Amino acid sequence: MLEIKDLHASVDGTPILKGISLTIGDGEIHAIMGPNGSGKSTLSNVLAGRENYMITKGSIIYKGKDLTELSIEERASAGIFLAFQYPTEIPGVTTMTFLKTAVNAQRKARGEDELDAVKFLKLVREKAKELKVEEDMLKRPLNVGFSGGEKKRAETLQMSLLQPSLAVLDETDSGLDIDALKIVADGVNRMRAPDRSMIVITHYQRLLDYIVPDHVHVLAKGKIIRSGGKALAAELEASGYTDLTESAA
Amino acid sequence: MSDQALTYLDANSVATEGPAWLDVRRKAAHASFADAGFPHRRVEAWRYTDLSRLMAKTDWHPAAPHDGAVLVPEGRSNPFSSIASHKLVFVNGFFRQDLSELDGLPEGVEILPLETALERGTKFESAFDANGPEAMAPIAALNTACARDGAVIRLNEGITLEQPVQLIHYTPDGGATVAHTRNVIELGSGASMTLLEAQIGWGGAYLVDRVTNLNLGERASLTHVRLEDEDTDAVHLSTVLGDVASNASYKANTLALGGRAGRLQSALHFTGEGAHAESNTAYLLRETQHLDSTIVVDHAVPGCTSGALAKGVLDDEAIGVFQGKVIVAPHAQKSDAKQMSNALLLSRDAAMNAKPELEIYADDVQCAHGSTIGELDGDALFYLRSRGIEEQTARQMLISAFLGDVLEQISHEVARDALTERATQWFEVKKEGEV
Ligand SMILES: Nc1ncnc2c1ncn2[C@@H]1O[C@H](COP(=O)(O)OP(=O)(O)O)[C@@H](O)[C@H]1O
Ligand SMILES: [Mg+2]
Repeated sequence: MLEIKDLHASVDGTPILKGISLTIGDGEIHAIMGPNGSGKSTLSNVLAGRENYMITKGSIIYKGKDLTELSIEERASAGIFLAFQYPTEIPGVTTMTFLKTAVNAQRKARGEDELDAVKFLKLVREKAKELKVEEDMLKRPLNVGFSGGEKKRAETLQMSLLQPSLAVLDETDSGLDIDALKIVADGVNRMRAPDRSMIVITHYQRLLDYIVPDHVHVLAKGKIIRSGGKALAAELEASGYTDLTESAA
Repeated sequence: MSDQALTYLDANSVATEGPAWLDVRRKAAHASFADAGFPHRRVEAWRYTDLSRLMAKTDWHPAAPHDGAVLVPEGRSNPFSSIASHKLVFVNGFFRQDLSELDGLPEGVEILPLETALERGTKFESAFDANGPEAMAPIAALNTACARDGAVIRLNEGITLEQPVQLIHYTPDGGATVAHTRNVIELGSGASMTLLEAQIGWGGAYLVDRVTNLNLGERASLTHVRLEDEDTDAVHLSTVLGDVASNASYKANTLALGGRAGRLQSALHFTGEGAHAESNTAYLLRETQHLDSTIVVDHAVPGCTSGALAKGVLDDEAIGVFQGKVIVAPHAQKSDAKQMSNALLLSRDAAMNAKPELEIYADDVQCAHGSTIGELDGDALFYLRSRGIEEQTARQMLISAFLGDVLEQISHEVARDALTERATQWFEVKKEGEV
């Protein structure tokens, strides 16, 4: 699915990622953990193609192709989805309008028929119900005035509508209470499929009790300093990041 | 004396052979405009829009009647055409009976061309005396001296006009032609109506100047929806001079797209307590277009509320101007006035000039004004694109959202959709241009 090799990236001229290599097979879930400021969000933005994030060295191969040659929207239509750590508030664009535009833009880009209003509404209602997203929320401007939990559920709703091949969840658990966390985790788990891979970025081990990863990586100062199975998450929870980070320094 | 003004008046002023009350006013206006001349940038209220320069070096002359079919270019048609309305249509400034719809007017309603009203002996003394504040007086005088025709709309006390009234002005012919029109709108106490106005031109270089005198009686209500869509070589002036009596309400929402240069100016004056007036404008400009949106609200009496919102999208080397002035008289306590200008610059070469002015002589008032100039939100653009929405569409979504504060406030649903659609078309032109 995804093969990252020796990836170096700078943000506005500051080097942040300093040699990341990561291979993700079809259907795998990889957790990336690490202290604040280690570069987790930078990695997710680089994958999504954000413009001021410059790749200075290394490669990203997605489904056998050079990902870096695709524009932001081409990556999305090719199946890459980033659930934002801090979803952007967009006043004046209602959530429903946005969802329909996004779904149909991707369908069009893939040469599929666009969904009409009726079909789309049915689909959204079904998915929204699963994620306990109130219909009222869909009428509000996108992410504007949403609580932390609502924003994360809205991100998960988008993912379930867009059915990506590679989902990057950037701290989708932050700011959620345990009930909200379960709803979101259930939503994510429902999407597990042999042809869908995920990168689950989190600061806490807690999320990984609900979304059980196949592999866990620890990112510190722009490098993966340890990789292991799901047991690594529990180990980190016990020892904290400090030891690891210091040994990396 | 201004030679430029004299030359202009010689060619374009109307002969004073009408009713005596009008001739007196036309002569006075002629003299006053000859003296003042076209306002230029050394006149404070015109410093960003030098009308004298815009009018210079052109042999302006009156437009001729256009009697044949009016072939409106694709995408420029009357946006309100599907709305059942009473309708007055003017072409090159001349009334076209055959294109208008004036049958079945309810009792107590007068809708007719100014020329006809004058022939019938109706007097509009106070309307022709109202020159507005200093910023607008030269244009009011110019219009009084040169206006041949226009629309008269009068509602008797207590009349609610179910169908909107459309005022449609087409300018198919140009070549340094001018058309001055004068509208007089009077609503008796408790009367209410919706006015849908569209000024659409494609004739090349022309000047259209329209002055509308509004007089709203107590508790009267006027909803005014406007489209200003002129040829990119045209100069357009639109002036609204309104008196708003106690508990009356005036709400204007305008979409302006066209013109080489334009000035949309409103002077709203409260004559009774508890009245409300607002004028909101969305404008979309590109290339070297220039649009000036100027408003003066005179809280001459206590307890009135007013609002002015201008939202401009400026691409290429376009220039936007917002001048908002609020005057609160010493005894006009509990006045509430808001003025805001927001500009979205799509290009580094575009420019925005915003000048708010407050003249507040009362102490128990709420006045808020502000202006912002910004670019499209890069984070929002990235967010939308990261969901597969093409960059151009994403930009369009954000710009439409920006304009929503003006366009979505239009209470007439079909008119709202029609103007929103017009704004959307604006982007599509751009898209084609970029290919
Ligand atoms: N726009 C930026 N310009 C410069 N440095 C940045 C920018 N954005 C983030 N950084 C820095 O990059 C580092 C990694 O940030 P980030 O990827 O957000 O970390 P994480 O998501 O792991 O908390 C931090 O040191 C942060 O301060
Ligand atoms: Mg982060």
